[in-house]
Amino acid sequence: MKITVTLFGRYKDIAGKNTIEFDITGDTIIRDIIDAFVKDYPIIKKDKNRIMVIKNKMHTPHNVSINESDDIAFSPPVVSGG
Amino acid sequence: MNLDRYRRQILLNEIGTNGQELLATKHAIIIGGGGLGSNSASLLVRMGIGTVDIVDFDVVELTNLHRTAMFTEQDIGKPKADVLQQKLKSVNTAVKVTARNQKITSKNIATVIKDADVVLDGTDSIQLRLLINDASLLHNIPWIYAGVSETIGMVMGILPRITPCFQCIAQNIQDSKTKELPILGTLPGIIAAIQCTEAMKILLGRKPKGLIIYDVWNQSFDTMDVKQNPKCPSCSKKNINPKDEKP
Repeated sequence: MKITVTLFGRYKDIAGKNTIEFDITGDTIIRDIIDAFVKDYPIIKKDKNRIMVIKNKMHTPHNVSINESDDIAFSPPVVSGG
Repeated sequence: MNLDRYRRQILLNEIGTNGQELLATKHAIIIGGGGLGSNSASLLVRMGIGTVDIVDFDVVELTNLHRTAMFTEQDIGKPKADVLQQKLKSVNTAVKVTARNQKITSKNIATVIKDADVVLDGTDSIQLRLLINDASLLHNIPWIYAGVSETIGMVMGILPRITPCFQCIAQNIQDSKTKELPILGTLPGIIAAIQCTEAMKILLGRKPKGLIIYDVWNQSFDTMDVKQNPKCPSCSKKNINPKDEKP
C-alpha cells in the first residue's frame, strides 16, 4: 500500500515537490513515515520529533496508525519567536 | 473622526466607510512589543483601530533593531511599550495608544485582556501563548497567534470554540532550547502585516484563514485547513483555568 503526504512550508522546497509517497503496511504509524522522510531528506532531522502532522485535517501525535485512505500533511513545527 | 486619512483604505470593498467607522470603535491588545508586536502596533494605529494597548515589560535592546523600524539606537534601554506609545501617538492622534509595562501571568491576564475585541500575539514563548489561548477561551476573546523563526513565519486567527485553538496545533510542542532563535530581519514585519490583516478581518466580523505558513526565503506561502481537535485539552473543555507561565 502507498500513502501520499502533502508537504507544507519549506518541506516542499526541500523535497522539490508538493506531495511525497511512502510505502505502508497495516501497522504503519506516523513516526515510521517521518523516519523515512528524514532518511530521504536528512536536513529535516532537527525537526524530526516536532514535525506538525495533520491527519484528516486534525493535528495528530506521531504514534498514531495510518492507512492509505488518510489525508496526511507534514508542516514545519509551530514557530515560537517574536 | 477624520475619515480622509483613511480614504485609500475606505475605497476597498472589504472595508468601506462603515468598516472604517467600525474599526474606530474597536480595542486591540498586543502582548509583546518586540519584532512582531512593534510592527503590529504600528500597523493597527495607522489603519485606525480605535484603541491599541501594548503590553511588554522588557526594554529595547540593540539586537531588536534589525527587525523593526519602530526602535532606534536612542531607544536602547527604554521600556518597549513606552517607546511605542510615544512614537505611535504622533502617528495617529485619533487612536488611543496605551503602554502597559507588565509581565503577563495567569493572575493578571484576565484583567489585561478583558476589554479587548482582539488580542495580537507578539510574544516569544509557547507557554505564554498557551496562557493567552486559555484566557481567550475563558473570556471568549478572539486572538491571533503569530510566530517567527529563521525565515519561517506562522499566523493563525483563533475564534474561541469556532476555529481550532492554539493548543489544537501545538500539542506537546515545547519552547526551543536555543536561547536566541535566528530570525531574518524582514520576517517579523511581513508576518505582523499578515497578522494585522487577520485582525482586521476578525474585527469586521469575517472568519480568519486557517493556519498560514510563509517561508520568506523560499517565497513559499501556504494556508492549512485545520479542524478543531475534539480531544483538545483546551478548547474541548468547558472549564478553563489559565495555567501560570512556566519559567
